[in-house]
Amino acid sequence: MTTSTSPIPPTPGHVVRTRWLLGIAVVAMLALAVLALVTMNLPAWSRVQSGLERNLVPLLRGFVNPAWHVFELASTSMLETMFMAVIGTTIGGILAFPLSFLAAGNLLGGSRLALPGKGLLVGVRTFPEILLAIIFVAAAGPGPTAGIMAMGIHSVGFLGKIFSDVIEGIDAGPNEAIRAAGGNALHVFMFSVVPQVLPEFASNLLYRFEINLRAAAVLGLVGAGGIGLPLIQRLQFRRWDEVSMFLLVIVTFIIVVDTLSSSVRRRLV
Amino acid sequence: MAPPDPAAVPRGGSFASRLLNWSTWAVLAGLFVVSLRQTGFDVEALTSGTQDFVRFFGRLVPDWTALPQIWRPLLETLQIAYLATLMGTLLGLPLIFLASYNTTINGPIMWLARSVLTVLRSIPDLLYAAILAPILAPGPLPGVVALTVFTMAVLAKLASETVESIDPGPLEALRAVGAGRNRVIVYGVLPQIAATMTSFVLYIFEINVRASVVIGYVGAGGVGFLLLRYLNFFDWGGVAALIVVIFAVVLLIDLLSVWARSRLI
Amino acid sequence: MSAHIAFHDVEVTYPGGLKALKGVSLEIPRGEFVVIVGLSGAGKSTLIRTVNNLVVPSRGDVRIDGASVTQAKGADLRRMRSDIGMIFQTFNLVKRSSVLRNVLAGRLGDVHPLRGLLGLFPRSDVAFAHECLRRVDIPEKAFARADALSGGQQQRVGIARALAQKPSIMLADEPVASLDPPTSHAVMSDLKRIAREEGLTTLVNLHFIDMAREYADRIIGMRDGFIVFDGPADEATDQAFEDIYGRPIDESKDLRGTS
Repeated sequence: MTTSTSPIPPTPGHVVRTRWLLGIAVVAMLALAVLALVTMNLPAWSRVQSGLERNLVPLLRGFVNPAWHVFELASTSMLETMFMAVIGTTIGGILAFPLSFLAAGNLLGGSRLALPGKGLLVGVRTFPEILLAIIFVAAAGPGPTAGIMAMGIHSVGFLGKIFSDVIEGIDAGPNEAIRAAGGNALHVFMFSVVPQVLPEFASNLLYRFEINLRAAAVLGLVGAGGIGLPLIQRLQFRRWDEVSMFLLVIVTFIIVVDTLSSSVRRRLV
Repeated sequence: MAPPDPAAVPRGGSFASRLLNWSTWAVLAGLFVVSLRQTGFDVEALTSGTQDFVRFFGRLVPDWTALPQIWRPLLETLQIAYLATLMGTLLGLPLIFLASYNTTINGPIMWLARSVLTVLRSIPDLLYAAILAPILAPGPLPGVVALTVFTMAVLAKLASETVESIDPGPLEALRAVGAGRNRVIVYGVLPQIAATMTSFVLYIFEINVRASVVIGYVGAGGVGFLLLRYLNFFDWGGVAALIVVIFAVVLLIDLLSVWARSRLI
Repeated sequence: MSAHIAFHDVEVTYPGGLKALKGVSLEIPRGEFVVIVGLSGAGKSTLIRTVNNLVVPSRGDVRIDGASVTQAKGADLRRMRSDIGMIFQTFNLVKRSSVLRNVLAGRLGDVHPLRGLLGLFPRSDVAFAHECLRRVDIPEKAFARADALSGGQQQRVGIARALAQKPSIMLADEPVASLDPPTSHAVMSDLKRIAREEGLTTLVNLHFIDMAREYADRIIGMRDGFIVFDGPADEATDQAFEDIYGRPIDESKDLRGTS
């Protein structure tokens, strides 16, 4: 084909505008990033370097040689963490179950009626979980109780929203069928709503358990029980070999739970 | 018509109904009981905990004079969250493509990428910060690094299904044109996943803001450090003011993010 | 005169055991417009994809101007592919991208990698892409989103994309199977016109006998992975087609008929 010498037709207005908007957005994001980097209180490179020099080698050495003598302690702490997550998730699920129905538009008869319910859930969900745990520790003293309560309350927010979404997404058909057969509201609830939402509820409950397990591991860092406390103690004393053993236990445990949970969840829904 | 013979009615239902039967409930109940005993949590703990909590709240009257102290750490918190989300996304995308079967280079590399992501995903965000803080000098730096890694892991989990479920047709056409793997991704994959990805990134930014609030507690920058100081000095007024501000900011970002995401899809 | 495309005893066995091609040898001279017909599963799609190595033969070799495309790897393979344009039954356009961007994607085999990644095509390429759209009669659609076009228009974009590669070979895998009859004929006649204007060696998979006879220089019939007919279009009698499809083409037995 001969090379074209015809002119390129002009680019239409809306395309030019879109390109400009996109370009400005990208530049703005990068500029913001640079601004953030410059104004943050970043440590001097020399300090970072000395920190790395002092710590990186012992850290790597510790990580290659996990300390087996803390294996038992790590495992029992991790189990305690799991127990905390079990209770926290259960409490969250039990409380969320009724609340979710109060936040589901299709059950209350209109999405506007569901707003206060949804608002409450948003409020609870937005509150950082660790902050809750810190407050509970300050109020009720350190220990797993604080962690469990923080997890329970936060989970209500999360599960409440997910559950209400599930409820709002069910098929209206079976409801109609039951009414047509002469059933009242309770029958509709028991025989149409509940069976439809139960598998998804269970799946999301398991998902929340996965998240809570990680959360529980972390809550100990602020004193709320679980494996976090012994871990941070060893961190503060730079006992890298013991830290790595703890990490190994945590990671393995979480991977196993995640895998089991995923395969169950896949078959539930 | 004669009524159906009960023995001829097929038994067994879906996996869900089989799973949610009595034996499963029994096992779960047993697990619950064991958990209660091992953690020492019981109704007494629940009620006393709730009482303590309510009583504690009475003391939490915000001391607004603390506000000027709060702005700067708050800004730092937001900066940490922003940088971590940005860098985590940029660094995480190539990793996600290596871990998806339709955009990876070969089998072993895909397996390696997936394993790395699995391990990264199982470490909670605060833990990263706690580990990095003593190494990288307390301050915002370990916070940014920790949340960057965390962002990569979470994005990978959210996005893996998206990448693997795109239309393979355009990818085949691009290969037929003679485009190499990278160009196939830019021209064929990115346009298909752009909207969903942006939604994910906004969601992750939300999570990161909440996380960066607290990482200061372990020394990784942000308002968390201020919180620790107030708690140590029993400055309940300061704590209260801080909590209110944090809550407002997080709520605002949450609402903005929900709004933005609804405009995208 | 040496063949442009040559198949040497090509066999394709898919994992799972299905033998899609069972020993195909063929020579196609430059500029010939070849239509391949046969039932679904006869091996047409597989055969056409061995030309640009989207399907790798389990045995045998496909050569273009003497150079093996089967053995080619990496950058060599990509270079050979950029000389081969391909259009698909499902068009395979990037739906959310603009028509222009889809056509420019045809240049990705030739343009500098960095330019390709960033989308900074040289002005001559952009002009050429517009030119390609003009040649398929849809220049005004350049900035529309690809999925906003009708089926026939989308396939024309596919042709424009292939043209943008400046190929010497054109492959078309059931290009009109998703289109209605009048649109199909429009697309096929465009394809034939462009192939003639550019001197492209063209391989087209088609279902319809009439279309094959109308547009092809040469017809190749396939059945069960073998070639059962190979000859000029006017030699393709109804009898020959019965061999290919394995059943009589009798108008009285036409299922669409009113009898």
